[in-house]
Amino acid sequence: MSAGAAGTVRHRLPDRLFHWAMATLVILLLATAFLPLLGVRFNWVPIHWVSGVLFGAAVLFHLDRALRVHGLAAMMPTARDLRALVDRRAADPEAKYDVYQKLYHWSVAAVLLLLLATGGAMMAKIDTPLWRRDPAILSDGDWGLVYALHGAAALLLIFFFILHVYFAVLPEHRRLLAAMLVGRDGFRRNADAERGA
Amino acid sequence: MEIFRYSKNAWGQEILLGMSWDLLWLPVAAAAACIAGHQLLRRVPRRR
Repeated sequence: MSAGAAGTVRHRLPDRLFHWAMATLVILLLATAFLPLLGVRFNWVPIHWVSGVLFGAAVLFHLDRALRVHGLAAMMPTARDLRALVDRRAADPEAKYDVYQKLYHWSVAAVLLLLLATGGAMMAKIDTPLWRRDPAILSDGDWGLVYALHGAAALLLIFFFILHVYFAVLPEHRRLLAAMLVGRDGFRRNADAERGA
Repeated sequence: MEIFRYSKNAWGQEILLGMSWDLLWLPVAAAAACIAGHQLLRRVPRRR
């Protein structure tokens, strides 16, 4: 999307707000999950489940944007992407997302959806103002499986979170970080200017 | 190193509790390895 002299808008305001809300919630969820395991004692359960519910709402918002505003095509790896990946060629400079970003997105999406599904089930084990706990909905063995999947996905999320921060602060990616803050993509604006666009 | 945590239920049967939290270092170490690998890889020139 072109924004004339102001540069190319890479991420619109609702998408930027979604990204930073998601980042805040992921940090809250990881902190409330793992700090108690590291010996930091506090009443983490209410913060964790409320953050989880907000996280689910954020994902629904993103799905709505992805399906009705952006479309899925921009995030789908193409045959050209995969050839570039195998050949280690430079990514298509015209594409909004390169193949690494697309693969990262779908990997994290799978992990987050698994966390939401298992976390949603685990809400049956706590009392909230909205419902009473009912752990009998699953057997002990099934609960073990739910907890194991939730834990494994949480460990994977730590891995992806660290990589995401690392790639965001690389010098060659800082324009992407800036675009997630202010929306405009300075690199594309400069590239457009050089082409006389 | 255990991958899962187990307990015994009221009938003495072993039941799965979840992932072992001894693995907490693993995603951090894996991410550190990927970062180190990427730092090495980006020094190799790309084909154009």
